[in-house]
Amino acid sequence: MSAEATITRGADALGAAFDFKSLVDKRHDYARAWKAKTGGKVLGWFEPYFPEEIAYAAGMLPVRILARHEVDDISDKWIYSSCYPVRDMVNQLLKGRYDYVDGLVNVEGCQWMYNAFEVMMNNRESLFYHYLFLPDYTNAATSKDVAKNEFAVLADRFKGWTGKSITDADLDAAIEVYNHNRLLLRRINELRRADRPVISGSEMMNLVLADQVMDKAEMNVILEDFIKELGLRKPGPDKIRLMIVGSETWDARLEELVEAQGANVVADELDNGTSYYWNNVLPQEDRLMALALRYLGRPHSALKDNNYRRRPQHIFELAEDFNVDGVLLEKQIYCHSHGSDMYAVWKMLRERYIPYHYFERGSLLPEDETAARLEAFLSMLKPGLNHLAGWHKKFGED
Amino acid sequence: MKNKQIWETRPLEFWDKAKELRARWQESSSDAKRVLGQGSTYDIDWAECFPAMNIVEDNPGGSMIQAKDSPYARKCRLASEIRGWGREICGYTNNLWGSMYLGYEQDGLPFPPRKFVVFMPAECDQHTKRGQQCRDFAPVPGWMSDCTIYLGEDDPVRDELFREHKVYCNFKQINDLERIFGQKFDDEKLSKMMDYSEEVIEYSRDIIMLMGRTIPSPLSVKDLYSVYTIGHLTKVDPEDTVNFWKMVRDEVQWRADNQIAAVGNERFRWVEAHPPSWHFLKYYRYMEKYGAVCLGSQYTAQNCGLLEYKPDGGIDRRVSMKYPKDTPIATREDALRMMLGPDPREPRAWKSDEYIRQDSIVEFADIMRADGALLPLWRGGVGCTLTRKEQAMRLRKAGLSVIYYEGSQPGDRTDLDEQRFLDQLDTWMESFGYEMLD
Repeated sequence: MSAEATITRGADALGAAFDFKSLVDKRHDYARAWKAKTGGKVLGWFEPYFPEEIAYAAGMLPVRILARHEVDDISDKWIYSSCYPVRDMVNQLLKGRYDYVDGLVNVEGCQWMYNAFEVMMNNRESLFYHYLFLPDYTNAATSKDVAKNEFAVLADRFKGWTGKSITDADLDAAIEVYNHNRLLLRRINELRRADRPVISGSEMMNLVLADQVMDKAEMNVILEDFIKELGLRKPGPDKIRLMIVGSETWDARLEELVEAQGANVVADELDNGTSYYWNNVLPQEDRLMALALRYLGRPHSALKDNNYRRRPQHIFELAEDFNVDGVLLEKQIYCHSHGSDMYAVWKMLRERYIPYHYFERGSLLPEDETAARLEAFLSMLKPGLNHLAGWHKKFGED
Repeated sequence: MKNKQIWETRPLEFWDKAKELRARWQESSSDAKRVLGQGSTYDIDWAECFPAMNIVEDNPGGSMIQAKDSPYARKCRLASEIRGWGREICGYTNNLWGSMYLGYEQDGLPFPPRKFVVFMPAECDQHTKRGQQCRDFAPVPGWMSDCTIYLGEDDPVRDELFREHKVYCNFKQINDLERIFGQKFDDEKLSKMMDYSEEVIEYSRDIIMLMGRTIPSPLSVKDLYSVYTIGHLTKVDPEDTVNFWKMVRDEVQWRADNQIAAVGNERFRWVEAHPPSWHFLKYYRYMEKYGAVCLGSQYTAQNCGLLEYKPDGGIDRRVSMKYPKDTPIATREDALRMMLGPDPREPRAWKSDEYIRQDSIVEFADIMRADGALLPLWRGGVGCTLTRKEQAMRLRKAGLSVIYYEGSQPGDRTDLDEQRFLDQLDTWMESFGYEMLD
């Protein structure tokens, strides 16, 4: 998609304050406006392995279906058990909050997420649907060929739906926009390594969530402006540095609670956090193969971290690189992917003496309980034990 | 409305043979001379072709732990939970691997360590992660494959790539196992295994058909559950397996011909979905007091593939696509290709139906001449629960009476309120005007 097709630029979309949270909250208005302006199709996607570049190259606006916290009086009719984000999604989709979405794509991954997808298939037959298979066995010699062909099938289905063929030039443009986007996000994320980061955990999470529902070309302009602003900011205060690992979180409420306790989230290993933008597409003649390698090679989600274990090491490296004092392990109740993967993370953190706190949550964070737990955890992270120089003075200790 | 016994009942004669085979499997599982591995006995049919290798799944081990010894099962799950496994994770998994963490089995003997792991390719995410506890516990080699699924019409290009992906995965598993453990894979046996497998499927088809189409049903699912893993989850010699299932089929046929009933006062027939609570199978007997017989589920029919109405109105199992029998097999890859079949979306015969053709449960209930459906809602088994509520809606629309009961998972009794469950069954039966037989 060309930059001309975008609606707003830079600060116009956000106001001067770069209020990314507000952008996430107003994402439906944004998508409707985009659609009215461009006449293009909006494609909703569920799973972190969806190759957005292909939809973007086909002239669509790919938007991630985000869970929200709304009274759910619908999903129980259709699904039992299931994590709350999936219920939230079904609730929102059936209530028409995403009435601008023309199609939905699910990628082989979490089965609950598939549940939301198939409930929609059975309820909104007029939408475009596609189930994309991406191997759980990500590093088999044949996996990349399977993934590449699945992407080709997806492109072909888009062609049949929109009437537009995706050319190499379209793919190149889309890959460039997305690579640039990931590069900008990484640049901002790198600022969190500093002893006194200029960006808070909640701001970063809202930014990344906004990124997943916006036109990337437009978002890139905003991010470039935002990076300039970050360069002018004064370093923040010394704070305990935390990292969040676990189920997808869908908002920045946990980061805000951490901040209310005088600490800061400086790193995460979440599918809708750093894992979303961690690795780029390495361009090659065969564009779809380049995309296949990118998605198979991204930081594994818990479900796909099976045979070739990468998560624990990746989490450890993040914890080291971002100099974290402790890790918050949060798991959505009924999240079987993380419920069956946490063990490896616990083990790694224990072996490396990295303090962590594990808790379960629903879509809504139980705030008082979480705050009390956080307080206890933070008070445990006594100064001097960990890396942070300076903040121990706050506690009056040498 | 009381009901006296109308049909003759008799003990099952294949029972002793079943116990003998089951004991043989148990014995071979603890044979220290064989290399013990963790893997899906459904997905790696070639496992028997290694002469001194024993590949077991975490089921039926996990379900047996719960069925036989609840306090020990609770201990196992706790051992898993305190190491970071979610409390809502599949009970089979947490029971068996909890046993590994504890270091001993329910009989007090040391837990037999696995020497390798083959992850289970499955639609169910919890199956996909099965074996991970074992793999992370000790540095043993592991392999994977994929459960390749897509929706919609058959696509030859997708099929080809998926098929070759699976052939590659299985080929690598076999070759690596040969190399690492110094065992020779019996390629000749692989071809024979396919024939055996076909025979067992045919017998299983006959049994399910007889259960469903005969009134009174000659076999209840309670009885079938006692034997149905033989040759599958509990692997024994392939020839013995075939002979056993022939024996079961012949006896069930004879019972059907002579109106020997599973439940002497049969007047209500019901179907289920997915496994029951293994520690609480007494509800089947409880229902029999109302004259109600359970005919199983798509899950119990999996041994034969799903029954369906054919275009000519007849009923038969859904036949998997197969390569012609005379397809030349020159290499191991060829043999694996034959084994896996041309349709990489297999086994579409049962569980994938919940993805692809959700109305199939209605068709199944109709074929089994069911009056009602009792559907479990398992909190801790994603694959056991997916689409269950939608299935209920479809069954109700088709005129069946449907009730649910809730629990943790078939291998985890934590959340199953047994008394409430039985009360629900009373209410269900009373809604039809049935009273318990004195």
